[in-house]
Amino acid sequence: MSRQEAYGYSSARIRAMELRLLDAAAIQRMLDAEDIQAALKVLEETSYSASLAAQSGGTNYEKALEADLLATYEEISSFVPDKELVTILRLQYDFHNVKVMLKSAFNKKEGGKERLDLLTSLAAYPVDELISKIETEEYALLPFGLSVLVPKAVALWEQNHDILEIERLLDKGLFAAMLQLAEGLGIRGVISWVRTKIDGENIRSLLRLKRFGYDAARALPFLYDGGYIDAQQLSALIAEPFESWSRAVIFSDLGAVLGSIEASNSFADLILDLEKALDEFNTEQLKKSCQGAPAAENVLAYLVRKETEIKNIRMILVSKDGNDNTQVRRLLRYAG
Amino acid sequence: MDVLSAMTQQLGPVLAVLGAALAVGFAGSGSAWGIGLANEAAAGIMTEDPKKFGYALVLLALPGTQGIYGLLVAVLALQNAGLLGGGELCGLWKGLGIGLSCLPIAIVGFYSAIWQGKSSAASILMISKRPEEIGKAVILPAMCETYAVFGLLVSILMLTGIGKF
Repeated sequence: MSRQEAYGYSSARIRAMELRLLDAAAIQRMLDAEDIQAALKVLEETSYSASLAAQSGGTNYEKALEADLLATYEEISSFVPDKELVTILRLQYDFHNVKVMLKSAFNKKEGGKERLDLLTSLAAYPVDELISKIETEEYALLPFGLSVLVPKAVALWEQNHDILEIERLLDKGLFAAMLQLAEGLGIRGVISWVRTKIDGENIRSLLRLKRFGYDAARALPFLYDGGYIDAQQLSALIAEPFESWSRAVIFSDLGAVLGSIEASNSFADLILDLEKALDEFNTEQLKKSCQGAPAAENVLAYLVRKETEIKNIRMILVSKDGNDNTQVRRLLRYAG
Repeated sequence: MDVLSAMTQQLGPVLAVLGAALAVGFAGSGSAWGIGLANEAAAGIMTEDPKKFGYALVLLALPGTQGIYGLLVAVLALQNAGLLGGGELCGLWKGLGIGLSCLPIAIVGFYSAIWQGKSSAASILMISKRPEEIGKAVILPAMCETYAVFGLLVSILMLTGIGKF
């Protein structure tokens, strides 16, 4: 049986699960809701009702959304032939947890507080185990390359107390681990998605660094390896105006994405537009790669759509605390 | 000389039996494979929505027809060879012809059933979101059926022609 055929059951179940995703009408009703209670009431009529009901106190929507996403990860892990497909998306939470643990440990050493409340259960590696391994300094058994990265981060902190450098080290490790998992799976659409995501992150970082007046040499260490666009070549673009970036990377899929962004008056607007365009491009790219019936990419596409949906819900709910509704509409991502 | 003559006499029915076995074996295996592929997709959508069983059943039954065609051709081949119905046993050349007549449905049946299964699985994915499109969903895998029917027709025509020898 070929790898694609192995996804017959999973693809069909995922397609059926897509019916659980919120439709445009539900999102519109949430946007139009007068306050957070009304928006949560709309959410209670959807597939999120079970997660919301499980949380005591109606407004604890953060926990409910996290529980819903965790339930989705676990449900999909229970039937996909390659669980690494789910792990690829959960890695970001593993690295987030490591950052929280390290910052807490460094803070504690300097007489500050631990912030273990910021840990998330969405990570692939169990939180309890991570806490125990880091507190007892038993790094050797940590997965996803963390066995090397964590001691390196601790050493860096002892040398220069530079938390940004540690963040950079861990972010590089995250993308390297994602690419390694994708290559291990050997599924073309998944590898392509990870590599394009790395390119997108690099472009996003480059634009932010341009805002702070960095030059190519200083920007290069902030870029990740493994994308389709060479990091060295990309870093040179920092000296060019943003409008010309699309021409320089026209050979990659992101050339068209960059070309579609209109030059804004402010960097802040430009960054927002770029982030939205990149997220939507990533969703579209996966959607295209799973058009051929039973494909492993269906799993990744569904999870990315689910994450985008939760991001959208969170933005809408936060906006009900007095933020501008028009701005939120602009930030919402297309979830497919 | 007698031994060679006896062997030649028996080789005809043996070739006919071989053809019948290929027709049933390959067409049936293709059908089982195709139904298996469609079944996986059907099980996937029914986990979420068991009410879609009716729609899925129509689609996953489609690749099963090749197995029936194989069986039909095998029965005709055995009858023509004199192995069913008590007629005279066929000779070497007639047996060879009967054996070869079974090949169109064996080959076309095998491949068309697998591809029809894949096509049915894709259609099952389609009805998971759009059950109202069941009509179109059935037509798509049914296109593969055309070629299985061609294989069946040619096998039957060949067997009928050989029967006149």
